[in-house]
Amino acid sequence: MIDVHVQYFAVLRERAGLSRETVATAAATAAELYEELATRHPFNLPRSMLRVAINDEFADWSRQLGTGDRIVFIPPVAGG
Amino acid sequence: MRAFAFSSEPLDPQRHRAELADPASGGYASFEGWVRDHNEGRRVERLEYEAFEALAIKEGERIVADAVARFGVSRAACVHRVGSLGIGDLAVWVGVSSAHRGEAFAACRYIIDEVKHRVPIWKKEHYTDGDSGWVNCERCAAAAHDHDHAHLPVGSGRDFEHDYSRQVALPEVGAAGQAKLAAASVLVVGAGGLGVPVLQYLVAAGVGRIGILDGDHVEASNLHRQPLYGIADIGRAKAEAAAERLAALNRDAQVDAIAAHATRENIDELVAGYDLVVECTDNFRAKFLVNDAVVRAGTPAVFASVHQYEGQLQVYRPEPAWPCLRCLWPAAPRDGLVGNCAEAGVLGPVPATLGAMQAMQALQLILGLHAGSGPVLVMVDLLTLETRRVSARRDPDCSHVPGAAADAPDAAPIELEFGTLAAAVEAGLELVDIREAWECDLDPPSASTLLHLPLSDLVNGRAQFPAQGRYLVICAHGVRSLSLTEHLRSLGQPEVYSLRGGLAALRCRGAQ
Repeated sequence: MIDVHVQYFAVLRERAGLSRETVATAAATAAELYEELATRHPFNLPRSMLRVAINDEFADWSRQLGTGDRIVFIPPVAGG
Repeated sequence: MRAFAFSSEPLDPQRHRAELADPASGGYASFEGWVRDHNEGRRVERLEYEAFEALAIKEGERIVADAVARFGVSRAACVHRVGSLGIGDLAVWVGVSSAHRGEAFAACRYIIDEVKHRVPIWKKEHYTDGDSGWVNCERCAAAAHDHDHAHLPVGSGRDFEHDYSRQVALPEVGAAGQAKLAAASVLVVGAGGLGVPVLQYLVAAGVGRIGILDGDHVEASNLHRQPLYGIADIGRAKAEAAAERLAALNRDAQVDAIAAHATRENIDELVAGYDLVVECTDNFRAKFLVNDAVVRAGTPAVFASVHQYEGQLQVYRPEPAWPCLRCLWPAAPRDGLVGNCAEAGVLGPVPATLGAMQAMQALQLILGLHAGSGPVLVMVDLLTLETRRVSARRDPDCSHVPGAAADAPDAAPIELEFGTLAAAVEAGLELVDIREAWECDLDPPSASTLLHLPLSDLVNGRAQFPAQGRYLVICAHGVRSLSLTEHLRSLGQPEVYSLRGGLAALRCRGAQ
């Protein structure tokens, strides 16, 4: 298990009901982490529609997670 | 020298003028009022002026001080004669010195108009027939005064020269930068919450030509976050209302009002007419349409979007490392899935902040002020005041050439235009209203509507769109309906159409 810091934006923040949390996870990749979090929060967006940033850089969903990583799930936003 | 004075001696304009000399002034404008030989059809021989001096001097000083403050001139003064004057004598003198001539002329005009209107001075006219009469200048002014501009905004004089000194003072801008701005052209797509500050700041900064592409009309629900518009603009084409307001801000800018939506048919030609595009729409369909057009044209662009208290900003530069919108969002998102301002709600300063950031980026692109940062997606949370920059790279798998289904030419038109919903029913279409329940409470669906299926229910799987039949999908502005229709077409449903412009367009057409 590793601890990672997760931050949510826009519709994900609304769905999660919080903007950030520290999660102890066994997920090896960002993709696995999102699937795990989606079982706890009522996310309505498929992963294919989101981007993930790890330590302030866009990353592939298959990127391996490390302890203390700052992970941000970013949905697209359209309002104007 | 007092700002306002009376003199019982003949006035000496040369002496008064010398007292306005100022090293920061580049010009001087003056007005001289002379005694003429006729008034209202009667021959005048001479005049006597009397004033209630204590009151008149205070009022006169207020007028001159107002003029200096309103027009930003260096110095101004007014001297009025009292006593007996002959034909051709100088009755009143106004002088203004200023950095630029426009303000000097405008302030001079303002002072004489206001003095004639407000300062308690009486004039006794002696006529050639031996008769004489007192004329209260205030009342004569009120009856037929020449006062056409005094209540208009500063600079409404045709010769007003826009003052860019505060931005030219920046070492990175200077006269060369100002010339770049004057030579630049920018297309602003969407004149809403984001577009309003973009337009205001670009026009104010002296960008030479600005296109406003927006096919919507001003609605009452826009004003809280789009304060460029006023109550009287409700129902007007946004592009036209915006162009009119902006013309009052800076006449240096040529503003092209394009009262149309961005479409596959018009976007390439429009983008080709400008150096830079600022994308300020509220829907993914338009954002990707604009993205694909700027990528094709090799035109830099500034994108932004907001959701409730948050915003995202991305700059696209036509350079190898810079990602386009599709690089970041390869699965072009569907409208309706992540909310827009109507569904999710928004506070005005959120799009205003992001719009101001877009304007800043646009100016930087024009001026070549690159802060050295590589491409990023900037995320701003206006509630927590957190800003996050996420480094972004061009996706090697993104062709940078649009290939998504939404861009393939359609065999059948996807949008249809009708004058009334009844006409659509007559054309054999069944109506499906996809607005949210609260929208229908405010504006109930037409009696001829077959189905009410809120888009949120369709997206969340709580409702299914009927598979068989010919349908016209209806929403408030035709954005969500078009997005859903494109989605249904991509799933192989051929006979589904979107009402172009939505119910709002129907109302406008009905009103014409």
